[in-house]
Amino acid sequence: MNAYIGTSTSRIDGRAKVTGAAKYAGEFNIDGLVYGAVVESTIAKGRIKHIDASEALRVRGVLDVLTHQNRPRMADASAAYKDDVAPEEGSPFRPLYDDKIMFSFQPIALVLAEEWETARFAASLVRVEYETAAFTTDLQAQRNSAFVVEKPESHRGNADKAFAAAAVRHEAEYFIPIEHHNAMEPFAATAIWDGGGKLTIYNKTQGVQNVQRYLCSVFNMKPDDLRVRSPFTGGAFGSGLRPQYETVLAVLGAVKLRRPVRLALTRRQVYTVGYRPATIEHVAIGAKPDGTLDAIVHEAIAVTSQHEDFSRNDTAWSGQLYKSPTARYEHRLARVDLPTPCDMRAPGAATGVYALECAMDELAVALKLDPVDLRLRCYSDRDQHTNRPYTSKQLRECYRQGAQAFGWSKRRAAPRSMRDGTELVGWGMASGVWEALQMETAARITLTANGHAEVASAVSDIGTGTYTIMAQVAADLLGLPLDNVTIKLGDSTLPLGQVEGGSWTAASVSHAIAKTAGEIRKELLRLAQAVPDSPLANATVDGVALVDGRIVHKRAPDRAVSIADAMRQGKVDRIEREGTVQFEDDDSHARNTHSAIFAEVKIDEELGVIRVTRVVNAVAAGRILNTKTASSQIMGGVVWGIGMALHEETLLDHRFGRFMNPNIAEYHMPVNADVYDIKVIFVDEPDTRINPMGIKGVGEIGIVGTAAAIANAIYHATGKRVRDLPITLDKLR
Amino acid sequence: MKPPVFDYIAATSTDMAVAALAAAGGEAKIIAGGQSLMPMLSFRLLRPSLLVDINRIPGLAYIEEADTCLRIGALTRHFQIETSPVIARHLPVLSAAMTHVAHLAIRNRGTIGGSLSHGDPAAELPMIAVLLDATLHIESVSGQRAVRAQDFFLDALTVDLDSAEVLAEIILPKLPPNTGWGFEEIARRHGDFAIAAVAATLTVSDGSIRQARIALTGVGPTPVRAAAAETLLIGHALENKLVESVARAVRAAIAPEDDLHASADYRRHLAGVLTDRALHAAWRRAQGEP
Repeated sequence: MNAYIGTSTSRIDGRAKVTGAAKYAGEFNIDGLVYGAVVESTIAKGRIKHIDASEALRVRGVLDVLTHQNRPRMADASAAYKDDVAPEEGSPFRPLYDDKIMFSFQPIALVLAEEWETARFAASLVRVEYETAAFTTDLQAQRNSAFVVEKPESHRGNADKAFAAAAVRHEAEYFIPIEHHNAMEPFAATAIWDGGGKLTIYNKTQGVQNVQRYLCSVFNMKPDDLRVRSPFTGGAFGSGLRPQYETVLAVLGAVKLRRPVRLALTRRQVYTVGYRPATIEHVAIGAKPDGTLDAIVHEAIAVTSQHEDFSRNDTAWSGQLYKSPTARYEHRLARVDLPTPCDMRAPGAATGVYALECAMDELAVALKLDPVDLRLRCYSDRDQHTNRPYTSKQLRECYRQGAQAFGWSKRRAAPRSMRDGTELVGWGMASGVWEALQMETAARITLTANGHAEVASAVSDIGTGTYTIMAQVAADLLGLPLDNVTIKLGDSTLPLGQVEGGSWTAASVSHAIAKTAGEIRKELLRLAQAVPDSPLANATVDGVALVDGRIVHKRAPDRAVSIADAMRQGKVDRIEREGTVQFEDDDSHARNTHSAIFAEVKIDEELGVIRVTRVVNAVAAGRILNTKTASSQIMGGVVWGIGMALHEETLLDHRFGRFMNPNIAEYHMPVNADVYDIKVIFVDEPDTRINPMGIKGVGEIGIVGTAAAIANAIYHATGKRVRDLPITLDKLR
Repeated sequence: MKPPVFDYIAATSTDMAVAALAAAGGEAKIIAGGQSLMPMLSFRLLRPSLLVDINRIPGLAYIEEADTCLRIGALTRHFQIETSPVIARHLPVLSAAMTHVAHLAIRNRGTIGGSLSHGDPAAELPMIAVLLDATLHIESVSGQRAVRAQDFFLDALTVDLDSAEVLAEIILPKLPPNTGWGFEEIARRHGDFAIAAVAATLTVSDGSIRQARIALTGVGPTPVRAAAAETLLIGHALENKLVESVARAVRAAIAPEDDLHASADYRRHLAGVLTDRALHAAWRRAQGEP
């Protein structure tokens, strides 16, 4: 029964969020709470010669100042600091581990005090002497020393040769600067002793079990003695995939003082937690005059830290998406003296597909083809680099429905040919692609005879609506009203949940719930069949469904037993089942979501002011569990795409090796006044192969291609091609 | 963060305020609206030993009309200037500029004396003071003096005001009849300090310009009057060719710098475009159009 799945269901946690009942990591209070404040390095590289905390310690209310010299014991081995999401190569950053300075604003001391204000003030009194070393933070200066991290999975033919011989060629370099997530909630951890030496850490994270395993490893604690909870998260967007330093510091403080400790990072400190790496994207596409492709070459160079090799798939999208007999793609890394970059919404695709889709637009101009037409001429129903069919791919329909909703057919091809009063008008489009992933996940369902179910899994809801879709799936599969379902998540003691990332949570947890609901149904059928003269005597578990509080024969709906009766007759108060779903590796098909984005810009050319007046994003992402939360996901992605295209840029002063705008006053993001009309379309995409429910996930696809559609619209409006993001006012000069 | 420790005096008269400033030997700061001072204290960019609060001095917030000028008390809040019918009648360019000064909450507290004394290089009020040839009345224990706005702004955040002095009154001459005005500003977000802004007035009779004033902010350490550009306009009707040469002269008169928000080149470009728009608006208004 699908009473809730596929509907526009409002968030079940919405009321808690708007009334403040939802508590975040920095909001759990307890008597005797100690407050932490971080002292940060003022140099980018070198070592600490001397830390003098004496003045800070003299401040009334200061309890301790922890440094690498006096902190409680932590693991020595670098491997102990590897979390589930850590890059394979390299050594993770170890906060307060030793005297090494690896980046500006690195945490080097933790002041612990009875009051937060006291801690912050005392932190300003800690005196540090450094020995400085030479450093670099400039990608352009390091590009020639970049090294290859991912060999292309498959060269198809000789792409360089085919490109050189192609009739029509486009080759250009695109640039995406460092960007930061800027989630509304800064990172925070509250570590509370529960008695018996057990510690609970409330932490802002995308994966409670990842943080729990990491902390147990770093502090050599038993899994039973350390619990991590994150019931609500004020946005994370990838920055919370890895355990961050505030959680280590909070535990250090709690262990040292044997008291509860809270550490909430400042906005500036959050900037050292992770970022989208600055990336140079070089794309070369060769084509025949009819718009079929001969070659695609995509090379990317991104920054990483000196201590870890963080890389993403920036370039393989170019080898996968369009029909081309040859392709070559390569990802390289350039080391700089900054913290390790991290995943940020659609990591790799947001940047790589930006470059690919701008390059396709430039090729369409060279070929004198409509941009949609060009994409249809090299449309592929098979993943080009593995030559596999897709489990489903309705991208063609995305182009059609998106173009129709946008009014694309009225577009005049020539740049600068459309105006609205004194403003230039530009229409641009792009494709989007992301993966449809699914991960091993478990769920526990407890059904009570009064018709209430509690559903629990250690997944996270980072604001995406996980609470709500879990309740929808459980309600439908258990035949209960939505209000009778309670969701528990974000607690490391609950059944297996992976970090929430990669857009995989919806598909994964839904199937964990479905599998477990099947076990519940099986038990209910057993009980129902024990009822005297049971109308379900000969039914099989697959032959019955749970509907409206009853176990119903699917083909003969008048044959039914109420759940309450079955449980009462069986003398059962509650049924508890836990199930784990694994997704078989299936190499026979490619699994992706797709989209087509159409954008309109209006530009005051004299000033360079750009407004994104309309965006249509048509998405094919399998079955949509909740049209409301899914639309919000896509809309959020589009808004971020506007920011990526026009506003967002973390600026470095390479002389100091330091972020210069680590605050939301100087790091520009789109606000309501920058956002006009956004239309989200979900194209029907039935998919019985990817998983039984046909779910793909929508957390990331919304941003992919959006910046390219806007950049292409700006070219169409002005005739000027700006390839380095963001396209600020001055670049249109 | 919290501000550093300081002493505090709530002055009840200007005499009391300047006496306290003099006694502090350069270690005191005046607090009026506090919209720039308080963040600077909280960031501990400033560590004055004493704050002299002038908010309770009676009779320091006023807008008075005289025959040839308007007198504005230093403690007059931005919103009072923004909404004053007297200013709207005689100095509408000032009313228009006020809507670009930060946000309403800030305008409710911030004062004209504070803004001028602070001397932010991208603020609107210093530019308007320079545009309108304001005279600033300054008081201290040693007496009173007057300084022209043109001479008051020395460098970024640096004005001709001794640590023992307080700005008490701003005198703005009324605009002549048949004067039109224009005000154009570009900021990354509304309410932010200007990347560049231009204000202009044109006094027109018999179809030609008798008096022209052009002032800019955000394009250098202090507000700028583009005197050479103004001269080009005198005796002519406004037409596009003339505006082009005026815009060129404006671009030549400024020395903008690169910063986080915009390049020098873009600021110079903006100065020309905004001058063009401000002059056209002023010309239209001088003909009696709204």
